[in-house]
Amino acid sequence: MRRAATAILGAILIVLLCADWIAPHGYQQQFRADAGAAPCRQYRLGTDALGRDRLSRLIYGGRVSMLLAPLAALLAVTLALLVGLIAGCMGGWWERAVVTAMDLCLSLPWLFLLLAVRAMLPLNASPAASIVVTFALLGLLGWAGPSRIVLAAVKRHLASDFVLAACSEGCPPWRIALVQVLPNLRPVAAAQFWVTAPAFLLTEANLGLLGLGVAEPAPSWGNLLRELENLSQVARNPWMAAPLVALVVVVSCFQLAISTGEIEA
Amino acid sequence: MKHDPETGAARPRFWHAALRRLACLALTVFLAAFLAAALVRLAPGFGMDERQLDSRLSENSIRAIEEENAGNANLFRYFGRYFLGLCRGELGQSVSFNLPVRELLAERLGLTLRSAAAGLACAWLAAIAAGLFLSLSRSRVLELAASTLSGGLICLPAAVVGLLALYLGAGPAAAIGAILLPRILRYVRNVTGAMARRPHVLAARSRGAGGLALLLRHVWLPSAPELLALGGVSVNMALGATIPVEALCDVPGVGQMVWKAALARDLPVLVNVTILIAAITAAANLASDAARSLWWREA
Repeated sequence: MRRAATAILGAILIVLLCADWIAPHGYQQQFRADAGAAPCRQYRLGTDALGRDRLSRLIYGGRVSMLLAPLAALLAVTLALLVGLIAGCMGGWWERAVVTAMDLCLSLPWLFLLLAVRAMLPLNASPAASIVVTFALLGLLGWAGPSRIVLAAVKRHLASDFVLAACSEGCPPWRIALVQVLPNLRPVAAAQFWVTAPAFLLTEANLGLLGLGVAEPAPSWGNLLRELENLSQVARNPWMAAPLVALVVVVSCFQLAISTGEIEA
Repeated sequence: MKHDPETGAARPRFWHAALRRLACLALTVFLAAFLAAALVRLAPGFGMDERQLDSRLSENSIRAIEEENAGNANLFRYFGRYFLGLCRGELGQSVSFNLPVRELLAERLGLTLRSAAAGLACAWLAAIAAGLFLSLSRSRVLELAASTLSGGLICLPAAVVGLLALYLGAGPAAAIGAILLPRILRYVRNVTGAMARRPHVLAARSRGAGGLALLLRHVWLPSAPELLALGGVSVNMALGATIPVEALCDVPGVGQMVWKAALARDLPVLVNVTILIAAITAAANLASDAARSLWWREA
């Protein structure tokens, strides 16, 4: 099951990386005469209200979401590793300060915090800037959850026999942190990455639906979902739900990869 | 000091733990207030006064206005004033709604808390009922159906679930309940499943004991501390779910206000609501910790 889910994710990623060759049209190209067209040979998923090909926007939007959400997850996990490792190895007041910061971040609902910080930044940013801002915010604000787990793993490793042996041989603390503890955190970091990436995909989708994610005309699966606001129209034209289907397939594959991996572990 | 029978770890005294958690709550709210004040102070355009552009004012008047605003340049002094105002209940003026934030919160908070509480209650009742039913039936088909349904709902963005609820004619409470249910059900199933695999429960089952009494006494009751912990966290999830639900369902609550404030860069609304939500979620976690401590004390 895990292999199948990973294979589907890999196949989707390859399609999205080859967007320039696979997409039938540019994501910005407008066919004003065919605005709101139903699916046909030229436009496989029809066109939106501005006459842009939905399939092309889905592929290019997927490239933005599927490449940048894992990158943001990587940033969050890297920050979590850094913070957890420093706090765990330094202990004392450092650890208490980090735990308090984690509690503070975790006590604020994720979307409230994102909206508050997003509002600090210009809302009329260029599409490229809005892409960077959206995913950078996800990465920078998403460290607290993973770092709690990293900190627990660091404390567990610090109490283990091999670290005690290294300490008794006079190994300096920085070397213990970098050589003994950090390599052993790899499974925890990998698990956190697999949990965080789909969560970021869903958060970007929520932000996009609320109009606070990636700015038009750049596509992302989040802002493509805005067409769902008129659900009665979607019920008549089900192909409009294609971005939602793509998102659900990808997030399900992530979930399956995680849950089957946990069972195997 | 009591010890946990499962882990052998020492449990802190109830009042000691309660006082520590209260201090943590106060610190969390204080830090949230500082963070909020820092965000407002560092926002682009802070300290700009439209009166300075008035060509009728003399240089001396403009200098006086500049001096008036200069007191806010220092972040810590600004935070001191802001915090004192906050303690007096002065939350500032909303830029986009053109009303005092306090008045806006008084109008909208009740509605949001009511729908969040109703959604939370629906989700918990449905999760407990479904969990009990699945444990009693022990049917693989039903288990698979429940996992598929909850897994499918988890893969949907909260905003889409809100839209679906709106389309089906359900209210915001039902939408919040639908967003929370799969997460709560999955956790409840994991916790009670782990408890049901314990040797004494398996031994009782192998001797033919079973049914509701065994489940309640040896599976659900010992799971209560973990479920109480999730109770605190689920308040945070419910408040987070109010933003997409209220924004898309056009419900005039705090969630919708936050969304409009974010679109209009209305920082006084955003920062004060953030502090309020931090206080509510920290208090919910405190209550759930207190309940867990009491549970252990009774045990």
